Amino acid sequence: MAQGEKHHLSNSKLNDVDEYGFERPSDFRYESYEEFMSKYLTVLTRRARKWSHLLGAKETVGRGMKVKRYIRKGIPLVHRGKMWMEVSGARKKMEAHPGYYKSLQDLPLNEDLMECIRVDIPRTFPDNIYFRDYKEGKLGSLKNVLVAFSNHNKEIGYCQGLNYIAGLLLIITKDEECAFWLFDVLTTDLLPQYYTPDMVGVLTDIRVLESIVKEQAPLIWKHVAHYGITWDLLATKWFICLFAEVLPIETVLRIWDCLFYEGNKILMRVAVTLVVSNQEKILMSQEFVDIIHCFKTIAKDEDALNCHTFIENVFRVTGSFSRARLAKLREECEAQIKAEKDKETGGKSFASSCVTSLTLDA
Amino acid sequence: MAQRGGAQRPSGGGQGKICQFKLVLLGESAVGKSSLVLRFVKGQFHEYQESTIGAAFLTQTVCLDDTTVKFEIWDTAGQERYHSLAPMYYRGAQAAIVVYDITNQDTFGRAKTWVKELQRQASPNIVIALAGNKADLANKRMVEYEEAQTYAEENSLLFMETSAKTAMNVNDIFLAIAKKLPKSDNNARSCWMLQVITFKTGETM
Repeated sequence: MAQGEKHHLSNSKLNDVDEYGFERPSDFRYESYEEFMSKYLTVLTRRARKWSHLLGAKETVGRGMKVKRYIRKGIPLVHRGKMWMEVSGARKKMEAHPGYYKSLQDLPLNEDLMECIRVDIPRTFPDNIYFRDYKEGKLGSLKNVLVAFSNHNKEIGYCQGLNYIAGLLLIITKDEECAFWLFDVLTTDLLPQYYTPDMVGVLTDIRVLESIVKEQAPLIWKHVAHYGITWDLLATKWFICLFAEVLPIETVLRIWDCLFYEGNKILMRVAVTLVVSNQEKILMSQEFVDIIHCFKTIAKDEDALNCHTFIENVFRVTGSFSRARLAKLREECEAQIKAEKDKETGGKSFASSCVTSLTLDA
Repeated sequence: MAQRGGAQRPSGGGQGKICQFKLVLLGESAVGKSSLVLRFVKGQFHEYQESTIGAAFLTQTVCLDDTTVKFEIWDTAGQERYHSLAPMYYRGAQAAIVVYDITNQDTFGRAKTWVKELQRQASPNIVIALAGNKADLANKRMVEYEEAQTYAEENSLLFMETSAKTAMNVNDIFLAIAKKLPKSDNNARSCWMLQVITFKTGETM
């Protein structure tokens, strides 16, 4: 924004609804946001110029170091939906299945599943002006995408949290069919075990995060363990929502840029960075309640808001982080989880058979 | 640091104990768990409360005669898929509110399943309350008050019909739990005496 406008804006000229339709909360810090935006707008202008040069008359960008660098620096909003479709392979899927999305909506859906979706629709982004109306707004589209997906992927069906992901995809793509195929790429290709009934992918990644923290920031790990806090209490929503409804919207979109191009490793990078670069604040929190609160605050503070430096920091903090290492960690953690589960179900099935016989007796 | 126990506690002071308890809310999706907590903690109500992912954590304090009860509240996600995550929230909890929606019979069935699970998996002394929420929608009632009350009596549960929307019985149910919780060190997450601190620091009462 131009310098002359700045004073004007700090007198709350900033719209109380952001460009994605989200109402700014009552405690929104207009001043720090304006300060960030005044710098970020310069970045956005430069990126917009670079991207139009990169794209030229082309529709697609292919792959390569340059594209990777460009994507890490943020896809301009005008190209974002389209680029997500391109770099994730969603467009290819869509073109390979013409008419498929429409056909899914005519299929009957299991009533329980339908009910799950129905109750979550009006509760998705209630603070977003586009999510208040079925006819005018995006609620109808959200329902269509979630219902179509439940018919498309019977194993996943519907999992709470997916409503936010589909909602955000609709905000960016402004197109149901594109949102559907991106949704499919995310849940099926990029995060195949996240939303299945056992949610083992999410549980595994929480465990992986813990083991990386333990190695990279042992003080934090000890501190958190000392207060009897387990990492699932802290990070479940981070992974399930892919940071939507956790980090500020602009930061989430920058993460998703990388997610669609580079894959799910970015989620781990972000989680590790959030923890490691807030070591001091976490260690200063001296009670169970304060630590839980601290983890909420660090996702909303100025460092998290300043998406550009946040993303730069993510790659600096996590450095070279090989796929092989992540795969190995996941394998180990998943095996641990499965072993614990087997042990538990041994006990549980005994307990539930007791209950069943008690019920029968009664 | 707060002192535990109270051997040298002078009697008759105006201040009493502070006890901290872990409380978990369980129940089917969209029955109003988050709304009950929001009403209790912030006195607010949103017609469309965002669906909870994983769980939300809040705290609130209630005052009884001579005891301050501090609740650490875990408000969990309702969808069946999150069921496997629930034990980490009710593990070690001293109290639970199992919520159903009086306009939806299925949610009452689900509440009973939660009660059963708590009875066999949670701490043996856990105080369980059953809340029939959305009592303001009495014209759409599907679960009779008597039916739920009988069930609660049979299972030694506290029971109230509540409305997060009108605030009916919301504070009351938390207060009833606070009253029923045993205020001793072995039961609470932690308990400490304010008076001991006064006694030690100033010797003046």
